[in-house]
Amino acid sequence: MAQGAHDFKLNEVFVLSCPKQCTAVDDSGYVSPAMAAACPKAAFYVDEYGQPASWIEIENTSYSTHDIRNCFLTINPAVLDKTMSAPEREKLMSLIPAGDLRTSLAAKQRITFFADGHTNRGTLHLNFTLPAGEAFTVYLFDGNAVDLLDSVRVEALPAGSSYARIADDEWHVCDTDNVTPNAPNVQYSNDKIKEFKEKDPHGIAMTLMCMGVVFSCLILLFVFFHIFGWAMNRAAKLARVRAIRAIHEKAERVVEMAKQGTTETKGIDMETYTAVIGLALHEYFGGTHDLESGILTINQTQTTWADKSHELRVTPQIHPAN
Amino acid sequence: MMLLESVSTMDFIGTKLVDFLTYTGFANVEWANIIMIAVGAFFIWLAIKKDFEPLLLIPIGLGIILGNIPFKDAGLEIGLYEDNSVLNIFYQGVRLGWYPPLVFLGIGAMTDFSALIANPKLMLIGAAAQFGIFGAYMVALALGFEPNQAAGIAIIGGADGPTAIFLSSKLSPNLMGAIAVCAYSYMALVPVIQPGIMKLLTTKAQRQIKMKPARQVSQTEKMLFPIVGLLITTFIVPSGLPLLGMLFFGNLLKESTKTTRLAKTAGSALNDIVVMLLGLTVGCSTQASEFLTWNTIFIFIIGACAFVVATASGVIFVHIMNLFLPKGQKINPLIGNAGVSAVPMAARISQNEGLKADPHNYLLMHAMGPNVAGVIGSAVAAGVLLGFLS
Repeated sequence: MAQGAHDFKLNEVFVLSCPKQCTAVDDSGYVSPAMAAACPKAAFYVDEYGQPASWIEIENTSYSTHDIRNCFLTINPAVLDKTMSAPEREKLMSLIPAGDLRTSLAAKQRITFFADGHTNRGTLHLNFTLPAGEAFTVYLFDGNAVDLLDSVRVEALPAGSSYARIADDEWHVCDTDNVTPNAPNVQYSNDKIKEFKEKDPHGIAMTLMCMGVVFSCLILLFVFFHIFGWAMNRAAKLARVRAIRAIHEKAERVVEMAKQGTTETKGIDMETYTAVIGLALHEYFGGTHDLESGILTINQTQTTWADKSHELRVTPQIHPAN
Repeated sequence: MMLLESVSTMDFIGTKLVDFLTYTGFANVEWANIIMIAVGAFFIWLAIKKDFEPLLLIPIGLGIILGNIPFKDAGLEIGLYEDNSVLNIFYQGVRLGWYPPLVFLGIGAMTDFSALIANPKLMLIGAAAQFGIFGAYMVALALGFEPNQAAGIAIIGGADGPTAIFLSSKLSPNLMGAIAVCAYSYMALVPVIQPGIMKLLTTKAQRQIKMKPARQVSQTEKMLFPIVGLLITTFIVPSGLPLLGMLFFGNLLKESTKTTRLAKTAGSALNDIVVMLLGLTVGCSTQASEFLTWNTIFIFIIGACAFVVATASGVIFVHIMNLFLPKGQKINPLIGNAGVSAVPMAARISQNEGLKADPHNYLLMHAMGPNVAGVIGSAVAAGVLLGFLS
């Protein structure tokens, strides 16, 4: 799947239809501006040629820029046939061409494609039209023509109305006054700030909530490292006890062996051998200090040896005779 | 003929010179520019003569002067707010908020969290000092600022320049220059602001409390701290990810013992480069027209309140903790001020005040605990505010 393709969502669908079968739209789909103006119920969003058409709006719902080029749009349900090969599917769909900067959508931006069947009119034109007064499903496929990115079932819409996504998986029929081509379907406003201003004018709730969160984070860290520190200390103590116990056992064994005279001295006289063992035992029982306190205990004492003035060289003086 | 030509040349030169003069600073200067240049010079004087945070105040001071050099707005692409100017390109790091996380990377790579790990209860002091932020938030609301602007201003109480810039760039970009200058100014003035409050809230006997030396911390604990810290804080406050992520990343570089080169670069060269650009562009953003407003004066007043509340709440919180701690494990309340995240300046104040009360009482390492906890606390607070108001 193309990077970010799953963030493209169908956003609004509008089917061009004229109430009362008026003459605003001729058989070829052409609507003159004068005729369109005379038809108050028709919400016409015109293309680059000034032609009104049905349209499909797609939104980049992410917070980063993605390009919708090479994706496919269709209303043909045959593309759902999983046995169909990718080239076969492509024939049933309308390709969004590459090479047009308009297909690159910044965060939360929208693009509108005209379903007028005239791909020769440019990138924004699809090779199919939307049926007025009938239900249909719009499918948005990824560039491989296999992965379905989004789809929406559109029931027969009243003239001049659109079908718009209000929230995730929540679609509404919007009347003529609320059709919003190339614009958000819901007016964005910073409700959070407004809400805080209204409900917490003195900042007490904010203070309590934020301090609660700050304390929670640091209390959790405190608890973790308190327990972990205790466990580390305990483990170190246990290791020390184990080491000392092993030394004791070895030492006792050696002493016992020395007393019984069972140790082979390999040519060394017993007196020397016992002295070596005695020295080793002394080191084990007190002479060694493998755990340092980390505290420096050197007390500085002031003597003439440490006197700064004694350490300084006398500044060379020019002899008066010179 | 020659005479006519020379007269016309002289006319041309005269016209061009007059035209040139309209481009000079002298032709475009206003009183506000002169005031701001004087402010910039004062900052530089404070940094050099008084040694107040020179690494910050010299770039900011020169930036203020640079940003207030008057010039004719003729599309020369030289001003900070003109697209494609060199200063504007540097300013993007402030505007889009990617300098602060880089500074946090450096802070993480330079910070030793041992004091905190050895005595984890000191973390709570770092949390308590964040009351400064919310005290300031309430004052800002009372002065009529919108909640998002109040939050941007209040973060000054965290005493953390990068966090203040990060949050204000997101919540109240129009006040960011004033907020940043205010935050850094008060951070530089920590040695002036804090000692008085600390003395006021402590008795001589309390100031003489000697704390037990901290236990030795194993390398495993040091390595684990950034990972656990990152997981806990960002799971609770994902909006603090840019700051907390980089802080703990920098610390892991340091403590892993396998990436010493990276930690060294993050904590020295990279950090220095970012601090230079950050300081300079923040200073530049204080153009007189944007800076000399009532809002700026309010921001400085609120900032002062924030620092006072933060310091006081840290010290008072230590008193409260001492009520529950057994004798022999009491905490010297002089380390309470270090809960603000001005690292290591606030910890140094604790040390100095401790030495004044007892020349044999060394509090620096104890104070580093709440000090680094303050860095985490202020980043978390910024994340929460961002989450609530953006």
